Amino acid sequence: MGAPAKKKTLSFKDFSTPSTQLAHVAPEDMYPLPPPYHKLEEQPGFKQLTEQARETFEATLDDTMVINIPKPKSKEEEERLVKKFIEGLEKLFSRENNWTFLQPLTLSMEHCARCQTCVEDCPIYEASGYNELYRPTYRAEILRRLYFKYIKGGSWWKKFNNGDIELNWTLIARLAELSYRCTLCRRCAQSCPIGVDNGMITREIRKLMSSELGIAAKDLHEKGTVQQLEVGSSTGMNSIVVKDNCEFIDEDMEDRTGIKVETVWDKEGADVLLIHNAGEFLAWPDNPGCFALILQELGISWTLSSEVAGYDGVNYGLFYEDVQLGRVAMRHYEIAKKLRVKKILMGECGHLTKAMGVIGDRLTQATPRENAMAFLEEAVFSGKLDLDPSRNNFPVTLHDPCNMVRSMGIVEPQRKVLRYIAPGFREMHPHGVRNYCCGGGSGWAIMSQNNFTDWRIQVSGRKKFEQILNAFADEPQGPEQPKYVCAPCSNCKGQIRDLFDYYGAKEKSGLYYAGLIELVVNAMKNVKEGFIDWELL
Amino acid sequence: MATFEWEDVKIEVDEDGFMEEPDVWNEKVALALASTEAVDELTEDHWKVVNYLRDYYKQFGIAPMIRKLCKQSGFTLKEIYDMFPSGPAKGACKVAGLPKPTGCV
Repeated sequence: MGAPAKKKTLSFKDFSTPSTQLAHVAPEDMYPLPPPYHKLEEQPGFKQLTEQARETFEATLDDTMVINIPKPKSKEEEERLVKKFIEGLEKLFSRENNWTFLQPLTLSMEHCARCQTCVEDCPIYEASGYNELYRPTYRAEILRRLYFKYIKGGSWWKKFNNGDIELNWTLIARLAELSYRCTLCRRCAQSCPIGVDNGMITREIRKLMSSELGIAAKDLHEKGTVQQLEVGSSTGMNSIVVKDNCEFIDEDMEDRTGIKVETVWDKEGADVLLIHNAGEFLAWPDNPGCFALILQELGISWTLSSEVAGYDGVNYGLFYEDVQLGRVAMRHYEIAKKLRVKKILMGECGHLTKAMGVIGDRLTQATPRENAMAFLEEAVFSGKLDLDPSRNNFPVTLHDPCNMVRSMGIVEPQRKVLRYIAPGFREMHPHGVRNYCCGGGSGWAIMSQNNFTDWRIQVSGRKKFEQILNAFADEPQGPEQPKYVCAPCSNCKGQIRDLFDYYGAKEKSGLYYAGLIELVVNAMKNVKEGFIDWELL
Repeated sequence: MATFEWEDVKIEVDEDGFMEEPDVWNEKVALALASTEAVDELTEDHWKVVNYLRDYYKQFGIAPMIRKLCKQSGFTLKEIYDMFPSGPAKGACKVAGLPKPTGCV
């Protein structure tokens, strides 16, 4: 294998030039984590891609690979793919094919002043030791140069001014993979003085690759939206399985709270249709259990839906494609209409809240929707729940899911709740709209192909793990003091679980994680004490 | 897809090392898969977990809830992690020959 290209010398010409591997991040390039995770030699190593994987797939970008693009079999196939890419590029910049994102995309193409204000805000760029490949503007600039060359055209001076780029299959395969080295957290977009959105640019690259070339992460497309629309859920649960699981959850809730809980299914005319990320039923059943209990305690008429996609609010289309995004969003809205509910209550999931709350409703006049944070604020301060905050007598910090907080501005409700019910609540720094991504955003939390877990823990999740450790720096550091990371998002919980598993943080530091509603139920006086059970978390 | 070989076992696995064809699973395959999961030996307790997962998968075509697995097999989550270091979904399910779990789980 040839030596990887040196950092900070990566040019745009390099990106189209075939080589064994364009960039490499060594463990010593990354800033050290706080103790007891600071010793490099004690940390889990970074697995290498296998020779078999490198031989079979396009793996010349960096140390990992997540979408496994098969190598073209002939020169002709390569040329056909390049042609398809150009067609896709033309569609991306035409109104009839991209009415959804054309305007912000074009603005982001034409007005970036190359000031680089945004780059310091990218946790991946920073964690990689400022590796040029992960500079958010490096990725965006590749699409920008293609835009000026193939779409905008113009005089030789304009072309010269905007910088040239060579389009070939090497570039396309690398660009596809590179669009999965950004979690779409949009922290860079927030810091741009004129609102250029590198996160959206990355998402639009994924869209071009998926719609035109059929290149997408299997977890998002084949096992994600396709499975969801066929079977009912991206988890593979059909309606029989989800009902069976909820029966189990109801019984478990009664055992542990002393309150009989009954999940309601397909009740026409109910006031509220509750839609969770279906991963909750399987991996974090206390969360849907707590929603059932609280809705019941508040005397709200509610229901779940057992229709296809009705019990799974995920919409991975948000991360990679508009057609699937639209299909899934319309399913959810149609189910709500059919049940004649007054509103949809969206469970604790960031991308679900954004897709169903503000993106999908550009397609139709949808039933009103309420996010879980606002719902819980109202529940807690309604006076209908008798709460004893001292039951939450352990340190708590809050993770801000990017889609819900930075992208939608849902910042305060969850904090008001925590300030009231969790005496040990403390913020991470920075937080709110300046938060850092969990490192598993845009669906990464469910991706582990090849050695991608190593990358998403050590590189993209580094900042979040550091923030969590720092938030509890004033507490006893060992496992004797359990510490609770409140993460009101299914995807973020998946990533935080993987972070803690990877570093053994439960055993070493007593770090646990779960959602917001569990803390509310744990504080309810009519619930048996000790609902939050560290053994189960 | 890739081919995984261990002793005389030869199976197709996905990029995460999960079986592509869960139907061809047998106890020898379980031993082969365990070798990829830092599980040196399959004790009676390991088999209890594996057999529960197999039975549930045969019935429902999907892996069970983790909580259900714990409750019905009688092991705590910690005990399952002790047996299968990558945890119930990524470790135990892999050894039991289930396909990789999908969705946000």
